[in-house]
Amino acid sequence: MDLNYSPEDRAFRAEVRRWLEANVPKDELTTLEARKAWHRRLYEAGYVGMLWPKAYGGWGATPMQQAIVQDEMARIGAPPPINGLGIGFIGPTIIVHGTDWQKQRYLKKMLTAEEIWCQLYSEPNAGSDLASLKTRAEDQGDHFLVNGQKIWTSSGPIADWGILLARSDPKVAKHKGIACFLLHMRQPGVEVRPLRQITGHALFSEVFMTNARAETRDLIGRLDQGWAIAQTTLGYERGANSLGRVTRYAIAFHQLVRAAKELRRGGRPLLEDPVVRAKLGRAWAELEVQRYAGLRVLSALNKGEPPGAASSITKLSYTEFEKRYYETALEILGPWGQLMASREEFEEVDTSSGEPGTWATAFLWARAGTIYSGSSEIQKNIIGERVLGLPKEVRADRLKA
Amino acid sequence: MDFAFSPDQRLLRDSARAFLDQHVTPATLRPLWDDPRGESEATWKEMAQLGWLGLALPEAYGGSALGMVETAILLDELGRAAYPGPYLPTMLAAAALEAAGGEAQRTRWLPAIATGEARASLALLDADLDWRPEAAATRAEKTATGFALTGTKRFVPWAHVANVLLVPAQAPEGLTLFCVDPAASGVTLAPAQTMDPGTRWSSVTLARAPVAADAVLGAPGQAGPLLAALLRRGAVAAAAEMLGAARRCLDLAVGYAKVREQFGQPIGSFQAIRHKCAEMLLEVENSHAAVYYAAWALDAQAEDHEIAASIAKAYVGDAARKVCGEAIQVHGGIGFTWEYDLHIYFKRAKALEAQYGDGDYHRELIVRRVAA
Repeated sequence: MDLNYSPEDRAFRAEVRRWLEANVPKDELTTLEARKAWHRRLYEAGYVGMLWPKAYGGWGATPMQQAIVQDEMARIGAPPPINGLGIGFIGPTIIVHGTDWQKQRYLKKMLTAEEIWCQLYSEPNAGSDLASLKTRAEDQGDHFLVNGQKIWTSSGPIADWGILLARSDPKVAKHKGIACFLLHMRQPGVEVRPLRQITGHALFSEVFMTNARAETRDLIGRLDQGWAIAQTTLGYERGANSLGRVTRYAIAFHQLVRAAKELRRGGRPLLEDPVVRAKLGRAWAELEVQRYAGLRVLSALNKGEPPGAASSITKLSYTEFEKRYYETALEILGPWGQLMASREEFEEVDTSSGEPGTWATAFLWARAGTIYSGSSEIQKNIIGERVLGLPKEVRADRLKA
Repeated sequence: MDFAFSPDQRLLRDSARAFLDQHVTPATLRPLWDDPRGESEATWKEMAQLGWLGLALPEAYGGSALGMVETAILLDELGRAAYPGPYLPTMLAAAALEAAGGEAQRTRWLPAIATGEARASLALLDADLDWRPEAAATRAEKTATGFALTGTKRFVPWAHVANVLLVPAQAPEGLTLFCVDPAASGVTLAPAQTMDPGTRWSSVTLARAPVAADAVLGAPGQAGPLLAALLRRGAVAAAAEMLGAARRCLDLAVGYAKVREQFGQPIGSFQAIRHKCAEMLLEVENSHAAVYYAAWALDAQAEDHEIAASIAKAYVGDAARKVCGEAIQVHGGIGFTWEYDLHIYFKRAKALEAQYGDGDYHRELIVRRVAA
């Protein structure tokens, strides 16, 4: 056991920090072109696609190096790269399961964000029970005809391509009749409608496919392999962003402490209130435990150990923590924490971020984490069955099948 | 960066588990509950032979010169076995003797501790139960031969079997740590009955108890930093032992959920039970990260070792209470019986939660460090 960073990792961190300090854009990136340009610079510096093999345009870096880059980006407040889903899991899926033609055609443009990717998995009636999805893909010889509706699609309006799960055979058991395609989003049969969330933003979309066309050459794996392909990718890359995530929590914590010094109750700063202090102490302890646990996962990843079902523990842990964390923050801030619009009096609680509504948005956004990418309940099922070896539940759909 | 145990550390864990699974079982520890000493002399001697009692002591005094990580590995296993005895307080007192003791004091006590001939404990709490070292209220007056100590120390673990007690007191020079012979005149021990029959606490009353001038540990008036460091070490040690208790409760709960059937199915197939077990595992895994991060940080004297110790104690105290309590819930009625073993670990975790600074104390220390 040695939790010191290696001299190489320390040197790498210093190099990343220097690069970011010299290159992070001074102004907010307001256009897609500006964000793509920043993404491209990050890629060329070696900070995007870090874990991808060099043969596919990646950098063959270590998980630790990737975590360090994300940590330094969080520390300096750098805008993130785009195409996160593409680079995080759609690309790796193509690398593992795709044809040579698909790799040639899609991977490089994905890395450079020349083409933006989205995920077409969830449906209105297929959330946690994803395998019950209804979108159809009918074989027309050289292509498949796709009809159905997807939901919770990130980057929908800007996406050029999507990875699609669709039912190719409705007559077999539900897990067996699913195919995985790469779908061109810019075609007449694909309509994207932004979906507004409780934060007021529209980061997700609904996607309607009406006689849309998926080319046969864009099928990933075999026709009946879609479910297995989706399963292999769901646990991918949890852990690499653990350090950056905790650094963002820590930045928010120090901001909260500043606010607790500014805000007064009963003639003294909130920070002198023992109840507030107890809450802050608990929050920091939990936050640091997230970091320790992240380091533990990272050290295993760095030795090439696959995260496996244990990545469900990581996901469950940080998303549930994040809800408690921002709940605590809003308890301490009181009504100040709920302000959304920019106001002069807001500055005393939000002095450092300059972004009005930071607390309220973070509080609201925290509700998403325990739902997306497999809800907390699904993660607990995975942990129970695959880590603890508890018996599977008797499920109505398994009885029928 | 490597969070995994080394091969030697794994060997220590595996051999400790093998020994304890054979020698410290509910069947062997239950009879000790009615024993006035409450610990097994034979087990203590075997622990000495295994090198556990001198694990972190210098080789010159018969030790193995290992660190807090190894000590935590051992305490993790001792917690998993609900070992009853003065291992933790003796280890802490030995660390104090090593850190601050003069050569005569070290030679007097450290080899005796390593060979299992001596036990030791620390009397850190005064009557008002304030864990801050500077809050010590016991007074040390100067006498012709040394000092006379007056005061009441509460909840001193395993004082009744200790050969030496380390007692902080306010001397004219300031906060000072004394080696006190529990059998000396003016020292009265009153063992308390607590809900964990494997934890023994005594009140120690000092009525002008005479202490020789050479029984001062370190320089008079300079004990503050030493006591703060000991409290951190004790906090991480207690967290490691609580982690072990939580591991055992998780194992028992999962094992039971696989075989206990209701409504024609194993109860572990029900999400209500399975999800509870998943949450328990999450707490055990996070506690593992907290304990071993803090243990490593103490060994490495990392920049954040002080706050890491407080975080481990505060976090694992809550987590172990939750995991052990939920194990009872998973078991249902049988988990509430005296005959079933769960309560042994549940009670041990609770006893340790109140030792070496409780969660509230450590959370305040955390805020002081991070929100100064």
